[in-house]
Amino acid sequence: MRSNSVYKIPNGKLVKINLEYDKNKKKIINISINGDFFAYPEEAIEVLEEKLIDKKLVENELIKKIEDIISKNNFEFIGLNSNGLAKGIMMCVK
Amino acid sequence: MNEEWRFLVTNGYNAYKNMAVDRAILVANSKGLVPPTVRFYDWSPYAISIGYFQSLKQEVDLEECKKHSIDFVRRITGGGAVFHENELTYSIIIPESHREIPKNIMDSYSRICGAIIKGLNNIGVKGIYQPINDILSDGKKISGNAQTRKHKTVLQHGTILLDVDVEKMFSVLLVPNEKIKDKLISDVKQRVTSVKNILNRDVVFKEIVDDMKKGFEEEFNVDLMKGELTKKEIQLTEEFEKNCFSKKEWNFKR
Repeated sequence: MRSNSVYKIPNGKLVKINLEYDKNKKKIINISINGDFFAYPEEAIEVLEEKLIDKKLVENELIKKIEDIISKNNFEFIGLNSNGLAKGIMMCVK
Repeated sequence: MNEEWRFLVTNGYNAYKNMAVDRAILVANSKGLVPPTVRFYDWSPYAISIGYFQSLKQEVDLEECKKHSIDFVRRITGGGAVFHENELTYSIIIPESHREIPKNIMDSYSRICGAIIKGLNNIGVKGIYQPINDILSDGKKISGNAQTRKHKTVLQHGTILLDVDVEKMFSVLLVPNEKIKDKLISDVKQRVTSVKNILNRDVVFKEIVDDMKKGFEEEFNVDLMKGELTKKEIQLTEEFEKNCFSKKEWNFKR
């Protein structure tokens, strides 16, 4: 299944998700995260997209996973956060 | 005696070259080859720049761009799509470790925007910083700004709108359908302003150069010394223009 969403993060920026997912297994096959946010270093989003592959489409688990990736890699996001990202991803599924 | 930074004014460069120059200065400054630098520039032909994390096809009507001979380029900074027409664009390139630059990214936005606000004030336009990356005048956006940090160096660039044609802006920036488009145009009309709107007269680039320059000098307690790009920077600019910013692979990367 392919789907996309546009989500304005409260007090943040617009995040646009393109999601390819396995409907039965409820898992991410491929994801692209675009938007007018800021991320440091610039590879952060590509790393995040890569590490979200195969992850389960469950909002709380996604938030935890994204926070994990951010802290392990010392990423810094401005106008973007784990809650907003997870919400944008889940909007593709609903 | 005040610290001296370099000041550049480059007019008539196209979008690829403009982005290549900012990146070339970033590299040169990170290697200690050039002092902190403030550059003012414009865009010829007019162009759209998109944020590093945006998808070109999602943001830009490429057919309309072609029709109006408007270029498009991906920036190395995040943020949103900008239609560069009648504006003064600035960039500042400075080591992350410089005492005038806050370590915290949000604080450094606010500090650098302080220079723009002082400059605007010098020309009679009252501006306030609106986090994350905007400057408002009369409650409306007059300046957008974007920062990246690479090689321990800060690059922030941004716009000061001199005049704005919202209809044209929205013929080239992509919005999903006509209904939303109408709504956005009226919304944006109400949200965006320009130096012309505020001062009620036409204002051109060269008129505000000195006052905007003074804004940086006042904010950072430095003297901006008129300079040129070095040979190394010119060479780097050519490389980045040819191998990055003018390339499909770069611009359509997302």
